[in-house]
Amino acid sequence: MMDNRQISPGPKAGYTVKRSLGTGRLEPILFTSFNTLFMVCLVVVTLYPFINTIAVSFNEGNDTIRGGIYLWPREWTFQNYRAIFATGTIFDAFLVSVARTVISTILNIFLTTMLAYTLSRREYVFRQPITVIFVLTMYFSAGLIPNYFLIKDLHLLNSFWVYIFPSMISAFNMIVIRTYIGTIPESLLESAKIDGAGDFRIFMRVVFPLCKPVLATIALFVAVGAWNSWFDAFIYTSSRQNLSTLQYELMKLLSSTMNSNGNPTVQNGVGMDQNSARAMVTPLSIRAAITVVASVPILLVYPFMQKYFVVGLNVGSVKE
Amino acid sequence: MGGKSKAMYKFSLIVLLSLSFTLSGCGGNNNNTAGKAEETTAAGTASANTEGKIEPFKVSVFIGAAGQQPTPDNKIYKKIKEETGASFDMEFLAGDINQKLGVMIAGQDYPDLMTGNTKLTAAGAYIPLEDLIEEHAPNLKAHYAEYWNMMKDPNDGHIYILPNYGVYNGKVNSSWYSGPAFWIQKAVLKEFNYPQVKTLDQYFDLIEQYKAKYPKIDGSPTIGFEILNYDWKNWGLFNAPQHLIGHPNDGGVVVNDGVAEVFANKDYAKQYYQKLNEINQKGLIDKETFVQNYDQYMAKLSSGTVLGMFDQHWNFNAAEDSLTTQGKIERTYVGLPLVYDESTKDYYRDLAVLNLNNGFGISINAKNAVQIIKLLDTLIQEDWQKTFSWGVEGEDYIVENGRFMRTQEQRDNAADATWQLANKAKAMFDYLPKTEGSFSDGNSTDAAAQPEEYKAGLKPFDKEVLDAYGFDSYVDFFSEPPANPVYYPAWSIDLIEGSDAKIASTKLNELQTKFLPKAILADPADFDSVWTDYTGQIEKANVKAYEDKINEQIKWRIENWSK
Amino acid sequence: MDETLEIDTVVRHPKKNRKKKKKPITWRLIKNQNQLIWMSVPLMLYIILFAYVPVWGWTMAFQNYKPAKSFGEQEWVGLKQFRFLFTDDNFIRVLRNTLAMGLINLILGFVTAIVLALLLNEIKKVFWKRTVQTISYLPHFLSWIIVTGIVATSLSINDGIVNIVLMKLHLIKEPILWLSEGKYFWGIVGASHVWKEVGWNTIIYLAAIASIDPALYEAAEIDGANRYKKMMFVTLPGIKATIVILMIMSIGHVLEAGFEVQYLLGNGLVVDWAETIDIFVLKYGLAQGNYSLATAGGIFKTVVSVTLLLMANGISKRLGEERLL
Repeated sequence: MMDNRQISPGPKAGYTVKRSLGTGRLEPILFTSFNTLFMVCLVVVTLYPFINTIAVSFNEGNDTIRGGIYLWPREWTFQNYRAIFATGTIFDAFLVSVARTVISTILNIFLTTMLAYTLSRREYVFRQPITVIFVLTMYFSAGLIPNYFLIKDLHLLNSFWVYIFPSMISAFNMIVIRTYIGTIPESLLESAKIDGAGDFRIFMRVVFPLCKPVLATIALFVAVGAWNSWFDAFIYTSSRQNLSTLQYELMKLLSSTMNSNGNPTVQNGVGMDQNSARAMVTPLSIRAAITVVASVPILLVYPFMQKYFVVGLNVGSVKE
Repeated sequence: MGGKSKAMYKFSLIVLLSLSFTLSGCGGNNNNTAGKAEETTAAGTASANTEGKIEPFKVSVFIGAAGQQPTPDNKIYKKIKEETGASFDMEFLAGDINQKLGVMIAGQDYPDLMTGNTKLTAAGAYIPLEDLIEEHAPNLKAHYAEYWNMMKDPNDGHIYILPNYGVYNGKVNSSWYSGPAFWIQKAVLKEFNYPQVKTLDQYFDLIEQYKAKYPKIDGSPTIGFEILNYDWKNWGLFNAPQHLIGHPNDGGVVVNDGVAEVFANKDYAKQYYQKLNEINQKGLIDKETFVQNYDQYMAKLSSGTVLGMFDQHWNFNAAEDSLTTQGKIERTYVGLPLVYDESTKDYYRDLAVLNLNNGFGISINAKNAVQIIKLLDTLIQEDWQKTFSWGVEGEDYIVENGRFMRTQEQRDNAADATWQLANKAKAMFDYLPKTEGSFSDGNSTDAAAQPEEYKAGLKPFDKEVLDAYGFDSYVDFFSEPPANPVYYPAWSIDLIEGSDAKIASTKLNELQTKFLPKAILADPADFDSVWTDYTGQIEKANVKAYEDKINEQIKWRIENWSK
Repeated sequence: MDETLEIDTVVRHPKKNRKKKKKPITWRLIKNQNQLIWMSVPLMLYIILFAYVPVWGWTMAFQNYKPAKSFGEQEWVGLKQFRFLFTDDNFIRVLRNTLAMGLINLILGFVTAIVLALLLNEIKKVFWKRTVQTISYLPHFLSWIIVTGIVATSLSINDGIVNIVLMKLHLIKEPILWLSEGKYFWGIVGASHVWKEVGWNTIIYLAAIASIDPALYEAAEIDGANRYKKMMFVTLPGIKATIVILMIMSIGHVLEAGFEVQYLLGNGLVVDWAETIDIFVLKYGLAQGNYSLATAGGIFKTVVSVTLLLMANGISKRLGEERLL
């Protein structure tokens, strides 16, 4: 109630202030140009690292060591990408990654939203304890070895489902959705209730569709998280090549390049190829190519999701 | 833990499940026990006669380092499978080894063959190999005969790991020095007409003069001296003092008559850092040297503007490759074994040592240990060793008058990582027992060390430098190493994870990282006070525990390794 | 009062009548809510299994845990691990660094993300707006090793862009060796975080802004509110709930200052400012095979986190703002 009182006077106070005529015309133009300028700077600064990474990925490894690659490759090569695709394990791993990302995202969205809905109901008797139980999970971890035992006991070791089951609900996402549901006018839910709909029906028919903007966001979070994770593949499925994910394959490739370029035990032999001074992949160049291969597929999700932000607006106006 | 009954239930479930697995496993095994007898004889005579039926078997392998899955049709692995029946299911490490080992050990989830690791040994993950070798592996027995005692675990005297490097046969051709040295650009030596550089003072004099004469190289400011201290690559800052007093690389300690002492806080270390302080005053040390990362360091080296540094050769090898590609041969480096004064004999280059705790061990979960040891025994034979190191005759190398050689195309292939995945068994061979030095026919076991191969790679400028000094290769700059002390090297001593010794060594490391840059960059008037502060802190760090552990192990080695 | 709020279009928050007395839990109530129960209790059991059951592992913190031994064989050492952690000479310094960088990241992260969201919202051209959004979130996908590599190069005294620009602007006379001075280190880490994550952090606010009823803007416009007023009195209040909730959650994470950036950018000259709890625990815990110390470090962080979380939640409640719990 307090926050209501704090907000309400605001706009009213605002309405009474009449701007002087002089700034009226000029101010928007000034603001727009400053804003545009700011955005241009932002674009330059945030685009640079990515362009730089792409440039390095197309530059010869041996030449990259010299540094000084900024926006454009100095010595063009496809060698770095060739090295990535040479193993042939990449394509299978890509499919595994896609599968885990899609399944995780769908399950997460559905289950997390359902939970968030129940915990947004103020009259729900177990609301408080369940909320606390979930929120606390954000602040502790049992540790690697106990988790491993759990996964082992559940027979999820070396199984595809180890990518899915342990992370079906995120407390953070649940809270974000719950907060969002909190902004849906009670009246909408009330009217559904009067029509005799049960909670599950309200959730499916009313809440779920209304949540599209936030669900698009959460979908992005979950998808990016699932796509980028490699730790579970490293700990739980590393002895199964056919379950390896794209990120983990790339990780292996990167570490092996670093290894062969500077490991005392491997190079402990008496000779060293003088003739090896030729275009070859180096950690620096392979890392760049790996970054591009690993991130481009998932980068495409965001632009696709942006349209739901607009849908959100429409939903907002529909209920008028 | 509230749920004893639940745990019991789970436990019985697991028992049931694993039982069903073993049962089905047995079923599978049954029909190859018949073939096993055959297999035994086949393996025994594999080199002479491969007529016997070869039973295929799988070996699961954990390699505790990064690596890449070979292609499915890799020609060497195919050959192994055809001739011995063995195929490998390899798992490589990408990520933190401590995390991986933690869960492997906790869950007792071991594959058949694992690379050596002291944590796994301590956890009892390997089976003792002495009897197996005695009974089934005459070739391995002969291969390791000289080294038998050194391979024994200091804690219980069993042999768990078969070292992958450090067992030498025949003449050792050495043309490439991979170890530590003070490095100097060949151009600097040429400029001063190839002088003899023996001491630290002479070295920095040359650098100073050259920098004064050429303040810029290719338009960029000349950098006199670089010191890399980034992440675990800290020897550029830490290790020089022991060499300057004529000792070999023992890591963090200097060993005199079998007694080790930490040298980081000794006067002969102070002398080195004071010298660095002095040359820093002259502007010879790169201003950025202590804040740079490895990539920046390599970028500077490959730009050809850095005159010298203390480093291990393998660490900056890629920068030299880059310089060679750019055609700047004169900017590549010569390693110099510097000492404080000329009366000290340099001891940088050492005889190769047995690579303890590295190589393969057989895990307690391996069901076919005998089969595996027989396989390893087959693979140590000379024809297999040639296949591993040189490849297939006619395809990967040519033979002229009994000498192995490679065409330029074959050399290029051998250096191509992508080609290797399909045509080399690098991942396994790196860890398998291997012959080093030369084969019985006199060819070198390592293609790059074959004198003909080395000469083919030598550039005209290199010939000029070597001729000026009257050397055959850059290795000749270093004194011929004496026989290794029995205990050598102290750096391979396992300090035991989490022990006081290990904690003290971590602490010492921290203090060096923090104080040495401070001391070098300090105003000369303040140097002594920084140094006192530093040695005071080391005093507090319980380095005694570290020294004690090293000394205890040195003693053990002297008692057990002496022949 | 309720009546007026119901029709108040400015405030879309549902009635939050917190003073209402709690109904006692009755069978009737449970029966009425059986759908809610079916929708949430299984999920609660699921999270208990996956997050809480393994917490038996915290016993490790009181042991000298060796993975090769079974639970019964472990050696119990009481508070030894905690003592090692708290009595180390460096602990206070490490804690200070962690808190400082955590706080800097928290504040900078919040302010920049919200400001950027508000400014993005002012862009009228949809295509341009989406382009900026998409580009600004790109650095999130680069690993820290790449980002810190670029940061280090940019801060170099030879041809680092930062020194060049500052020299051109005559703000400095000589190039500054940024990474050699402890006093700059926290700022560099904070700025790197902003650079990498600002676009990503903005997304959640953009989603919240998207849900604001356009009618509110129209009404404000009719009343003659300018751009600034609309921002202050429509947009910000519209996303306030999201801001407050995220703030409470992040305060609990203030000790998560991380280790990668500090590890990758740090060096001997700034180590007194760069080392965080995570690095310390890594160095003396995991790297030594001492899982017990790592667990003890985790427990310490959890205790601090939950305390901070409860405090933030309590303060927010007292102020009448959104609460987490």
